Amino acid sequence: MARLTIRNICKSFGSGFAVNDVSLDVENGELVCLLGPSGSGKSTLLRMIGGFERPSAGEILIDGRDITHLPPERRPTGMVFQSHALWTHWTVFDNIAFGLKLRRLPRADIREKVEQALAMVGLADYGQRMTTQLSGGQQQRVALARSLVLEPKILLLDEPFASLDQHLRERLRDEVKDIQSRLGITTLFVTHGQDEALALADRIVVMRDGVMEQVAPPDVIYRAPQTEFVAGFIGSMNFLRADVEDGVARHDDLTLPLPIADGPVILGIRPEAMSLTPSERPRAGKVHRLIDFGTHKLIDIDLTDGTRIKCMAGPDARAPRGLRVELGVSAFHAFRDGRQVYQTTSDLEATERSMSHA
Amino acid sequence: MAMLSSTLPARARAPAYGGAIIGLALVAMPVLLLGWLILYPILAAIVETMFPVGADGARGFSLASYRFFFSDDYSLANLRVTLWTTCVCGLLLVLVGLPIALYLRFSRGRFASYVQALAIFPMFVPSIILSYALIRTIGPNGTVDLVLNALGLPKLPTPYLTPWGPVIGLVWDNLPLTVLMLTAGLGQISNASVEAARDVGAGPLRVLVSIILPRMGNSLLVTLSFAVLGIFSAFTLPYVLGPASPEMMGPFMERTFSDNNDPLNALTQAVISFGFCLVFGLFYVRSIARNRESRR
Repeated sequence: MARLTIRNICKSFGSGFAVNDVSLDVENGELVCLLGPSGSGKSTLLRMIGGFERPSAGEILIDGRDITHLPPERRPTGMVFQSHALWTHWTVFDNIAFGLKLRRLPRADIREKVEQALAMVGLADYGQRMTTQLSGGQQQRVALARSLVLEPKILLLDEPFASLDQHLRERLRDEVKDIQSRLGITTLFVTHGQDEALALADRIVVMRDGVMEQVAPPDVIYRAPQTEFVAGFIGSMNFLRADVEDGVARHDDLTLPLPIADGPVILGIRPEAMSLTPSERPRAGKVHRLIDFGTHKLIDIDLTDGTRIKCMAGPDARAPRGLRVELGVSAFHAFRDGRQVYQTTSDLEATERSMSHA
Repeated sequence: MAMLSSTLPARARAPAYGGAIIGLALVAMPVLLLGWLILYPILAAIVETMFPVGADGARGFSLASYRFFFSDDYSLANLRVTLWTTCVCGLLLVLVGLPIALYLRFSRGRFASYVQALAIFPMFVPSIILSYALIRTIGPNGTVDLVLNALGLPKLPTPYLTPWGPVIGLVWDNLPLTVLMLTAGLGQISNASVEAARDVGAGPLRVLVSIILPRMGNSLLVTLSFAVLGIFSAFTLPYVLGPASPEMMGPFMERTFSDNNDPLNALTQAVISFGFCLVFGLFYVRSIARNRESRR
C-alpha cells in the first residue's frame, strides 16, 4: 500500500512535449486508469514512474519519498508490459523467481512465494513449463505474477491485454481487478480501451497531447465530461452544431432550452438520451440503418444538414429504412471552445448521486 | 460478379510440375558452382595428398605428407601460432565487439551513429593498405614512437614482426563483421525484456549476464565461427605484419608452394587447415539449423 504523487511532470522529445505539466495523486490501494488515444503521453507517463524514461522536469514521489532520479531497479514499482516481456530461456518458475533471487531470499522462501504467486494467477501447475509453451493469456498471467511476487508498492500495467482477444481480455481484466482489490495494491493502468477503463478504474485520467483533460471516477467522466474531447472519447456521443438565441439552442431538427449567452454552440447528446417519434415533416431526420445488438438496437439517423447521429432504442424497436423521425432529447451537454458550458440537470443529478454513494 | 467471372476465369489447377522445375532451375546454377569451385577442389586436394604420384609415376595410397607435417617441428610451430592467433583474435574480437554492439543496440542519438560508422569503417579498407598503415603507426619509428619521443617517454617494443602484429591487424580487420553480427543478434532481444529485468531489480551487469548473454549463444557462436574461419586462413596481414618464423598457415602454404616449389606439402597444409576450419564451419551449420528448427 502506497501513495503516489506526481508533481508538474514534463517529458520533452526534441521541441515537442510527450507529457506536459502533469500532476496527479494516487491514493493507497486506488486503481487509476490512464486513458487516451495513441500519442497522448499515457505510456510515457507510466514509463517515467517506472524509471524507464527520465522526466525533463517535475517530481515523482512514493509515500513522500522522491524517486524521480532513481533507476528502475531501485524503485518500489512493478511493471507489466504489453508484450509480456518474459525471458524465454527460463521456465515459468525461474521467470517469477528471478527478482526474489536478486534479493537473496532463502531458497525455500523463494519456492513458497513463487508457488503462491502462480496459484494467485491460476497457473499452479505451470512452474516447470517453458514460457514459449504458454498461450498469450497464460504468458500475461506469468508477467503479472512476476511483478506481484515482489510485492511492489505501486503496480504499473502498460496496456497488458492489448495483444489478447476480446474474451480473454475481459476475463483477465476481471481477474486483475479481483487481485488488485484483494491485495489493495496502488495501481496505474494504461489503456486506450474505454471499456477497460470504465470497468476497472476507481478514477480515470483522460489524456490528450501530453496533458490531462479530466481526472474523475468513471461515471463522472461518462456523465459529466468537462471537455468536448472527453465527451467524444468516452462512450458514444452525438455532436450537433446549433445557435443559441434568447436562451434557446436552435438546430434544424432540434430546439432545446439552453440558458447560456447567445452564439454558436456544440450540443453533445448520448444515444441513450435520444428518443424517436415518426414524423410527417418532409425535412425531418431519416432512418439510415438499424443495428441489432441483442440487448438494444442502435439506429443511425441522417439529418438534413448531413450529420449522421446514433440513437439507442429497446430490443423490440422497429424503424424501417427511410422512415422520417422527430428527435427527442432527455439530457444533453453544451460545449464552447472545447469546454463544457452547460449540462442538463438529470445527468448532473445522476453524477452527484453516484458521487455521494462513493 | 457475373462480369468478374467472365473476364477473370478461375485458375484450373496449380502449376505443380512447372513450379518444381523452375525452383530446381533456380538453385541449379549456384549448386553447380558450389560443386565446381568448392567441393571439387576440396575432394581433389584430399585425393591428391592421400594418393600422391610416386617416383615411378603411378599413384598409390600414402600418408607420408601428413606424417611429415605432424613430425616436423617447424610445421607444428606454424600450426600452433595459427591456432594461438585465431584463439587470441577470437577472444579479443568478442571482448572489443560486444561492448560496441551493446552500445549500438541500446543507445539512441547522433553519437551512436558516429560510433557505428567508425566501427564499420575498417570493412572498406583493403588489408594491404591497413597493413602498411599499421606499420606506419605501430612499426619502428612509427606514429606511436614519434609521439612517445615527443613526450620524452621511452620507446615501447613494437608488435610489428611479432605474433602480436597479425593479431592487431586481424582484430581491426574483422571488427566490423563481428560488430554487425553481434548487433544483429542483440536485435532479437527486445527492449521490454531488458526493462522487465531492470524492473525486478537487476542492475546493468546482471542484465547482461542473466538476460542478454544466455540469449545470444547462437549469434556468438555464428560470429566466432565466421571470425575464426577468416582468421585461420588469413594471408595478407600475417604475411606483412607477422614474424618470418614461425608463420601462420596462410603465408606458410604460399611459401611452400611458390618458394619451395612443393605443391604436395602445400596441399597437405591446406587440407589440414581445412580440417580445422571444418570444425568451426560445422558449428555454424548446426547453429543455423537449430535456429531454423526453433522458428518452425
